[in-house]
Amino acid sequence: MAHRKKVLLKVIILGDSSVGKTSLMNQYVNRKFSNQYKATIGADFLTKEVTVDDKNVTMQIWDTAGQERFQSLGVAFYRGADCCVLVFDVTAPNTFKSLDSWRDEFLIQASPREPENFPFVLLGNKVDLEPRAVSAKRAQLWCQSKNNIPYFETSAKEGLNVEQAFLQIAKNALAQQNSAVDLYNEFPDQIKLTNTQKPSGGGDSCAC
Amino acid sequence: MSSTVEVEPGAAPESVLVTADSCENFEHMNSSLEEIKNLIEIKQAAEESTIETVVSENLEETGNFSECDDDEDDYVQNSEWTSRKKQVFVLSMAGKPIYSRYGNEDKLAWLFGVMQTLVSFVQSTNDDCIKSIHAGDTTFVFLVKKPLILVTVSKTHESENQLISQLNYVFNQITSTLTLTRLNKIYEQRQNYDLRRQLTGAERLIDHLLDFTEKEPSFLLGAVQCLPLASSVRNTISSAITGACNKIKNLVFAILLANNKLITLVRMKKYCLHPADLHLIFNLVQASESLKNSENWTPLCLPRFDSSGFLYCHVSYLSEDCQACLLLLTVERDVFYVLSQAKQAIVEKLRRTNCLEAINNSLTTNEETCLTAGFTELRHYLYKCKSTAQFYQPSLAPPYTLEKERLLELYKRAHQHLHCSSRPLKLVFEKSSKEVVLAWDTKGFELYVVFEPLIDTTGAINLVGKLLNWIKNREDKLFHLNAPTF
Repeated sequence: MAHRKKVLLKVIILGDSSVGKTSLMNQYVNRKFSNQYKATIGADFLTKEVTVDDKNVTMQIWDTAGQERFQSLGVAFYRGADCCVLVFDVTAPNTFKSLDSWRDEFLIQASPREPENFPFVLLGNKVDLEPRAVSAKRAQLWCQSKNNIPYFETSAKEGLNVEQAFLQIAKNALAQQNSAVDLYNEFPDQIKLTNTQKPSGGGDSCAC
Repeated sequence: MSSTVEVEPGAAPESVLVTADSCENFEHMNSSLEEIKNLIEIKQAAEESTIETVVSENLEETGNFSECDDDEDDYVQNSEWTSRKKQVFVLSMAGKPIYSRYGNEDKLAWLFGVMQTLVSFVQSTNDDCIKSIHAGDTTFVFLVKKPLILVTVSKTHESENQLISQLNYVFNQITSTLTLTRLNKIYEQRQNYDLRRQLTGAERLIDHLLDFTEKEPSFLLGAVQCLPLASSVRNTISSAITGACNKIKNLVFAILLANNKLITLVRMKKYCLHPADLHLIFNLVQASESLKNSENWTPLCLPRFDSSGFLYCHVSYLSEDCQACLLLLTVERDVFYVLSQAKQAIVEKLRRTNCLEAINNSLTTNEETCLTAGFTELRHYLYKCKSTAQFYQPSLAPPYTLEKERLLELYKRAHQHLHCSSRPLKLVFEKSSKEVVLAWDTKGFELYVVFEPLIDTTGAINLVGKLLNWIKNREDKLFHLNAPTF
């Protein structure tokens, strides 16, 4: 099979509103940060090209709105994702508590083939801010309980760990892709001709 | 309006092609896929009520999405990209890019996300299906055919139905490469699949198909044009093929074509070929220069015939000195050598009976123009015989030799008048300063005629009668009237 060198990964960013999902993405894609808060309407889309292990990867990043009123879009957004990035605000404990429901919701809606092995990455954002409400230890314990999700502490404002986190995201998604299923077996390609005109004619059927 | 012709020109007791009304062809392209194997619920989308959203905001707003891109990658700011008259995109239900007519789809990944969101937003909020968005002179048409989404953004004057028909052709081209069964299996197993891996090399066919559908009236009419040949010659060719092939088991179709025109089609009894499938074959031959150099053996799915599996196709040109292309289609995957021998036998027979020469003569002779045929006030026309799904057109003459595109636009407009679902017309007579267009839909045929601008209705009707007689007198030559079988 002729493999394309390029791979396209669909990455979903989830988390409560105002934890910094859009800021992380902007820092990663545009290396820009703004203190001004602008709520995302529905979803925002960005593209970033990176090289991972000599492979050219295009990341199609789906930055979703954290507000509940946009949750109805869930299924559509989550379908066919290659990686899911969960984000919380280390200064806001409620955003950490929501992680379970974000993760569950994603797994229900996206229904990936192997939910246990689906690649998640957790980002604790706003580490530049005080006071800290969720410790690194607490976050790491949560990650361990979820089949060892990788954890990064980030600051979208200072660009801290953002590049590394997204690199990990790309790697995890790629690893998942490489465990590809065999698409070539068991396909009944051959057409079986029968002696009678089969229903393939139907409305098309010729007058013969 | 009545003509003196009793049976429409080009009509035959049996047809080599499935005879689809061209209108049916546009609106129910998808239904046959369903009929064949009941594989997917395509109809659902068509039956559900549809919404039409009118976007009034300025489209430049979408520029927000891309302020981040590097300048050279930023297609939205690129005037060459934005000035394209028609963009075509294909994506998966997950919003992953599969095909973009212009520009690198990786760089447009964000845009595919937006398209998927538009489709699924309408789906999830109203359990409905988005069909089109109209904004100024731009039409956005969506065709949701699970597991794919096809989108066109058009500034042409084509109707929504015509744009959908084009998208259906693109879908069928993809199906033709993979089979619908495989396409569905892939996404059942992996929703996040990057289909471009399977379509490497096929983008070229889609590119060509899109240009093809925009240049050739055959797609508009849902018909094929035949290479003019004396009926005795065409019969000799057909029987040369039957003679060489009738002992070969499971050979379904033998097709001989040249210069985008059909020479003959021999078929297994009980099986017919749909014009839309034949168009895909014409596209394959036209788009693949490499076929000229050697004998080829390729799997090919004909979605209207059977979307679940491949036919195996022996493709070769007859000889160095006769550039007609012969395709032998079978369900057996390992009979290359058998078909290769049959091809040799066919060529030898055709050479002995001077058929190669006859084909070459027809290929090098220009079709008559209206003027050389003696119709001075007539500029051009398309005549389609419905019962055989074949059409005829004369050679282009001035002013349309330089305005081919505008001529086809006239035909598309007239075709839309006859086939719009809300108020289809039977007869259209339209005068402008540049020309007069007459379109006539009858039980047996469709006729589109372009006249000199000063002609009046009586004059036009008289000429149409004469024209039909002219075609009738030449029908043996212009149409494939037999439907030979193995």
